[in-house]
Amino acid sequence: MFLRTLRWLFAAGLFLSSCRSAQVPTGAAYHDYRVTDSVGRDTVLSALLAPYRDSVNRSMNDIVGYLDAPLEKKSPQGSLGDFMADALFYMAKEKFGLQPDVAVVNSGGIRLTQVPAGAITRGRIFELMPFDNLVVVQRVKGDVLEQFLNLAASGGGWPLAGVKMGIRDKKAVDIMIGGQPLDRQKTYLLVNSDYVASGGDNAAMLKAIPQQNIGYLMRDALLDYIRAQQAAGHHISIPTETRVYAQ
Amino acid sequence: MLNRRRFITQSALATGALLVGPAMAKAAHLDDAPKRLTILHTNDVHSRIDPFPMDGGRNQGLGGVAQRASLIRRIRAEQDNVLLLDAGDIFQGTPYFNIYKGEPEIKAMTAMGYDASTVGNHDFDAGLEDLALQLGRHASFPMITCNYDFTNTPMEHLYQPTKIFRKGGLKIGVLGVGVELEGLVPDNLAGNTKYLDPVQQANRYAAELKHAGCDLVVCLSHLGYKYSSSNKISDLTFAPQTENIDLIIGGHTHTFMEKPDVLKNKKGEEVIINQVGWAGIQLGRLDFVFNKNRRKNLAVSQSIPVSEKTDN
Repeated sequence: MFLRTLRWLFAAGLFLSSCRSAQVPTGAAYHDYRVTDSVGRDTVLSALLAPYRDSVNRSMNDIVGYLDAPLEKKSPQGSLGDFMADALFYMAKEKFGLQPDVAVVNSGGIRLTQVPAGAITRGRIFELMPFDNLVVVQRVKGDVLEQFLNLAASGGGWPLAGVKMGIRDKKAVDIMIGGQPLDRQKTYLLVNSDYVASGGDNAAMLKAIPQQNIGYLMRDALLDYIRAQQAAGHHISIPTETRVYAQ
Repeated sequence: MLNRRRFITQSALATGALLVGPAMAKAAHLDDAPKRLTILHTNDVHSRIDPFPMDGGRNQGLGGVAQRASLIRRIRAEQDNVLLLDAGDIFQGTPYFNIYKGEPEIKAMTAMGYDASTVGNHDFDAGLEDLALQLGRHASFPMITCNYDFTNTPMEHLYQPTKIFRKGGLKIGVLGVGVELEGLVPDNLAGNTKYLDPVQQANRYAAELKHAGCDLVVCLSHLGYKYSSSNKISDLTFAPQTENIDLIIGGHTHTFMEKPDVLKNKKGEEVIINQVGWAGIQLGRLDFVFNKNRRKNLAVSQSIPVSEKTDN
């Protein structure tokens, strides 16, 4: 009897699915949940992740420096990006032994929107610059540099060191390099990430230009820049001067 | 709840074994009852395993995998038909990824019961060999993309253009589209990956899913919600060129939307677009009701589900 019922169930199920007509979505509702500790922690996932967390914390929780005020990512200019561009400018001088004209950080490469005031951990710098991008130097003619700064301007403004410029109609205007107007014939030393220098973030105009590369990570440049300031007895310096402005 | 509903259905069908006529009518009536589907979704979680630290920052205390998992478990306990989807950029952003190259992220998604994800540009970051390794070892969910051709790459056998999910008598088709690699993913990481036109590919596969009898077609998109300074394709320009897609779950631009957008597709039919920021700060939820022989209506309203009785 039981088996026969099962057989019937199976047959009825087949019959139902074969003559089933299309279902139509006739209503939709949405809800966005904010994920916070108040929703509880799943014990299975907590246990799964604990060994990874312990080892990440061991290597990432040491303090590398101190900030007196929060650094903010903003466009056309913000203190977080300026700090990073300064770090590249300064460390390129130290590590490559040359005098850069311009240092740039692509806006999309800044992976935190804010670094709060207080102690800065190694892990925080990893979150700010998680990519294993390298610091590279290129010799760029003024007209190409202008094209590149136009790209930065069209993206709303990328952080720069060594440059002061305005943005008008998504183009770079009144470009000053080291306090002098940009000279299209002159060759400038541009410090950049290998990602952008290789054409990333639509920087196609840089792709063919040879790169000087010493295998130095951008993240290490940030850490070294902070350490150098700490060693000199300073907290992290927060840039305040105008570099990129809307016109 | 699930078991009780199953029991009721089975009793009706079992009765049918004895009294074929009227019982069949009763069973058919059950099939006519409105069906429900809950879609939960994330995008651009970027290796955010732990909540943002309590350091006075803007996002402090938000996110966290164990917290998201707890929320998902609760919703699953209330709803029978749940699909859990992700729109890519699982990888990159915290030291977890620098050290473990994606292992805890993929393991956690498997443990949470993700049904599918798509390939974001940052999922290339440790190389396709690494992505393939992590997925092959730790993923029980498929990577769905129809506009990346991974032939002759380590990902060759680890992705699919579409997948059909069956949930409580509903057929849900899922496809995926990824962002253009040129100028975004370095050549050495993209390898032999070919980027194909997302509109052409999505329309082709969405039509296949519709013909296969899918009641809802969902597109996981890592194209980005909107671009103000370029004419690059985004969900806002993609949706009006599509056919047969009902819902676009977006990513890439880290957009927090106040509510989902409802646009018109190429045939003048409604398409929903939703995206929930980044870092697992939010979990998106869309509830659909299905009826037979009725007009499609995808106008979305806000709901306050029972599981949201906590803080906000």
